[in-house]
Amino acid sequence: MAETTIILSIAAVILIFINYRKTGGHYEGIKKGIKQFVITAPIIMGALLLAGIIEVLIPREFVQNWLSTEAGLKGIVLGTFGGMLLAMGPYAFYPIVASIIVSGAGLGTVISMITGWSLLSLSKFPFEVGFFGMEFTIKKMIYSIPFSLAAGLIGYILEFTILG
Amino acid sequence: MKQSFVIIYGALAILLIIAYFVGGGSIILEGINKSKGIATSSFFMLLASFIIIGQLNVLLTADLIEKWLQVFSGIKAIIVSAIAGGLFPGGPYIYYPFVMSFKDKNLPIYIMISFLFGKHIYDLSRLPMEVGFVGLETAIIRFLITLPIPIIVGLLVQRYPNIITFVSDLKAGERDGRDHHNS
Repeated sequence: MAETTIILSIAAVILIFINYRKTGGHYEGIKKGIKQFVITAPIIMGALLLAGIIEVLIPREFVQNWLSTEAGLKGIVLGTFGGMLLAMGPYAFYPIVASIIVSGAGLGTVISMITGWSLLSLSKFPFEVGFFGMEFTIKKMIYSIPFSLAAGLIGYILEFTILG
Repeated sequence: MKQSFVIIYGALAILLIIAYFVGGGSIILEGINKSKGIATSSFFMLLASFIIIGQLNVLLTADLIEKWLQVFSGIKAIIVSAIAGGLFPGGPYIYYPFVMSFKDKNLPIYIMISFLFGKHIYDLSRLPMEVGFVGLETAIIRFLITLPIPIIVGLLVQRYPNIITFVSDLKAGERDGRDHHNS
């Protein structure tokens, strides 16, 4: 976490500098970022609490049988549809993924969960139906499922071969 | 935002009840302690992430991205629109109306689709959060594996425009005409 914080802090400083040179709106950027942080803080707090409870509650056998690398395709399918059901923003979603990783989930499961959430999350459903219509939304969901499963499968193969 | 709030705290309430029946107060305390640990260690990471998001919001305006999209066509347009989608700041209230505005500008449907998939897969504003919580290595692997998805989808829709209908008032014939007009 410390390493990531350093990398992100360096990225933030570089972006502030670029913004200062290009638009002069670096203070506005900082203000916008902090305002968004404050607004989303209650959700982040709730998600972190949820992640902590999941971590202690999730049975080891469940992780072993359904989410770990040994779970194979089951983990990828569960990851895809689990990601779809997690109808929430990134501030809430990623702490939950982190708790599942700590519990012992395999790379294929994690990748299919992130991809499933990115493409299929039910939180997007009302917007897509509202703006593009039901037919588009359903078709997009159906077409997205194989991509999420394939991404998880590639992650699973990578974990077994190159990363294993 | 409200929806996420309800889901998170609803799920939390249910899991707290389950935890109480499974392991009593001690398991809840253990969970809270774990959460406190994550919260303490991730505070500065989150702050840096949000400063990055704020800077991107100012740097990458909708006008700038729109200019990029109108310059290219074909495969170049697919790649540029997928990247533009990833760079486009803001949540669903902002990017869905922006994508809808493509229709008025006569941009072909495959550009809209690759932009939308680019936003969902690449989304630069959520990458810092992903790196922070799942780790740099996993985030990079996930990004590289899913990198071709918006481009493949864009190419598929360009090749077979009838596989998806955007809105009821945009018929396939109309859409084909727009595609030819722009490529």
